[in-house]
Amino acid sequence: MTAAAYVEDVLLVDRCLTGEPAATRELFRRHRSRVHACLFRVLGTNRDMDDLLQEAFLQVFQSLRGWRAEASLATWVDRVSVRVAYRYLSQRGRRVQTEVLVDDEAGPAIEAGPGARRQLARDGVKRLYAVLDELSPAARLAFTLHEIDGRTLAETAQLVGSSVTATKLRVWRARKKIETAAAADPVLSEFLEPSGAAVIPFDDSSKEAP
Amino acid sequence: MKLVGRVPVEPLDEERMTQIERRVVSGAADASAVAQPMRVSRGFTGVALAAMTAVAAAVIGWKLGSRPAPVVVGASTPVRIHTEAQRSTLDIGDATIESDPATVFVVTRPAGGVLVEMTRGKVELEVGKRGDRAPLVVRAGDTDVIVVGTHFTVDYGDGTGDVEVRVTEGVVKVVRTQHEVRVAAGQAWQTRRGVLARAEARTADGLSGPGPSGSGTTTTATSTTGVTDTAEGSTQVVASTDPVRAGSGFEVDLLHGRTSLVPDKRVAGNTTTVVASTGTTATTQPGTGGSGASTTRGDGTGAAAGTGSGARPAPRPVEDPSDPMRDLKKLVRSQPLEPALDVGESSAASAISAYYTIIRDPEKRGADESRAYYSIAVTQLKAERTGDALSTLERYFRRFSREVYPERTPALWLRVRILCTRSIDDVCRQAAYKYAHEAPGTPAAAVAERITLTD
Repeated sequence: MTAAAYVEDVLLVDRCLTGEPAATRELFRRHRSRVHACLFRVLGTNRDMDDLLQEAFLQVFQSLRGWRAEASLATWVDRVSVRVAYRYLSQRGRRVQTEVLVDDEAGPAIEAGPGARRQLARDGVKRLYAVLDELSPAARLAFTLHEIDGRTLAETAQLVGSSVTATKLRVWRARKKIETAAAADPVLSEFLEPSGAAVIPFDDSSKEAP
Repeated sequence: MKLVGRVPVEPLDEERMTQIERRVVSGAADASAVAQPMRVSRGFTGVALAAMTAVAAAVIGWKLGSRPAPVVVGASTPVRIHTEAQRSTLDIGDATIESDPATVFVVTRPAGGVLVEMTRGKVELEVGKRGDRAPLVVRAGDTDVIVVGTHFTVDYGDGTGDVEVRVTEGVVKVVRTQHEVRVAAGQAWQTRRGVLARAEARTADGLSGPGPSGSGTTTTATSTTGVTDTAEGSTQVVASTDPVRAGSGFEVDLLHGRTSLVPDKRVAGNTTTVVASTGTTATTQPGTGGSGASTTRGDGTGAAAGTGSGARPAPRPVEDPSDPMRDLKKLVRSQPLEPALDVGESSAASAISAYYTIIRDPEKRGADESRAYYSIAVTQLKAERTGDALSTLERYFRRFSREVYPERTPALWLRVRILCTRSIDDVCRQAAYKYAHEAPGTPAAAVAERITLTD
């Protein structure tokens, strides 16, 4: 993040703190896509997304005065959003309905070619999130943020408020659980390892920041 | 297991996003409007409604026994207060009103403001910063006291005679017969006399003059300066015999216990410092040049009390009395500024980037961070980005609300300089008051005090 962007954030927050609606709108528009994508990758569905996005941003604005500019505003917003997702997962008893991932109108994959591959991918995603539904909220967050949202372990640990070691352990356990499920589910197995690549060991630090 | 980028995000349609945005913006506005230090749970709503009902019942009269807990008023319904035997406290959320016995007044909230209409008696108000909200006005007969600052009393006696306003903190405006007067901390205003200078003394042995802190009795005295019915140059000091004002019931925390000095530009040469001793009535005569005063105690013993301008640095002479604001602004600009940290950058943008690097460095918390924030504000001011400089200063004060670093005083002055060179208005005066209160005894504090005394 450049110093200019940082200063821009600081000034935007100042404007928001004065209650300027235009600034509130600007902050929302700057971050809404990223927050939505992050929440979607954690939950695997847009069901309840309106409420979650609203809740996340309201919490951002309510606690904006507490942003001490130590982290970038984006990171801070993400942290608030992850907390909202965690609470949602905890309240829903870990289970998130992922049926909407299946495009019912598309029908079953009976034809060959790209359409069938797309349907296979959709089914794979659906089965992946069905396994994720069985994980604890903390493990699900760690796995989805690191493996699906593509964040580093350090960043993931910062977002979920855990140590890197604990986060790494949660990701590893989630992987093992998914691999176990994939062993009995060829669709999920094909989705996870389309090229037949080897299972990534626990001590994987390839995504760590230098 | 390579999953990054393999779970496609289903977009939300624009209409849904717009609705979310609308709700968020509206919710954020509500949150900022009701931002309070304590969050009220939903369960509190019922209790609040019950309290409002109880308050409505009090419209027909408010009788308090032996100093019960303050009555809380949060409703927009007019509330009539009538105290009989004891002093009473009324909490209206954004202000606390203490009333003497036999005081009658009505509180309403017209257009988001607060109107306290007095019928008789005396009230003492402590008012929080009102910011952009409509003002709080105390109306006593034909006199309106408009709150700019924080702590003052309004004495309307039996409701038929004069009104007296005493300000212990901040600034108020008094409006009567279309004339507006500012009354600042350490001043009083009376219907017949106008603005009065008030001083306090803490005496241990009955002699006047500032005594050891915490010893003796606090006495409030008033000194007429520049009033319409007083001969030019003459000064009268009246030490109050009212037990509420002269006893422990009326504490004046004025300029950290120093003798007050209230120059009055409307009476040439009448710059009087008054220190009153414990007693009943005292009169003063101005010394040569109008800079001295003496008090006579009620027991007949005299005591020299005038300290003139020696009590603290006198304000600089006004060069052009016909345009005091211009001269005052010049005076503000002439005060030296604490320089910004030298980071070896010639351009403002590069320097600010360097300062932000310091702020973001977790190893440089506290003092370095404070210095960097202040330096950003100074650099922004030099780059004529005064709005940004003010924002930075506000961020500084928020960031270091609990820690005090050496840059706090220069930062307070920087705020005064920016605001008061723009315009000598209420915001500027409040900043000046804050500076004078926190950094007394400096030349800049004398300038700040002059700003607080402007009309």
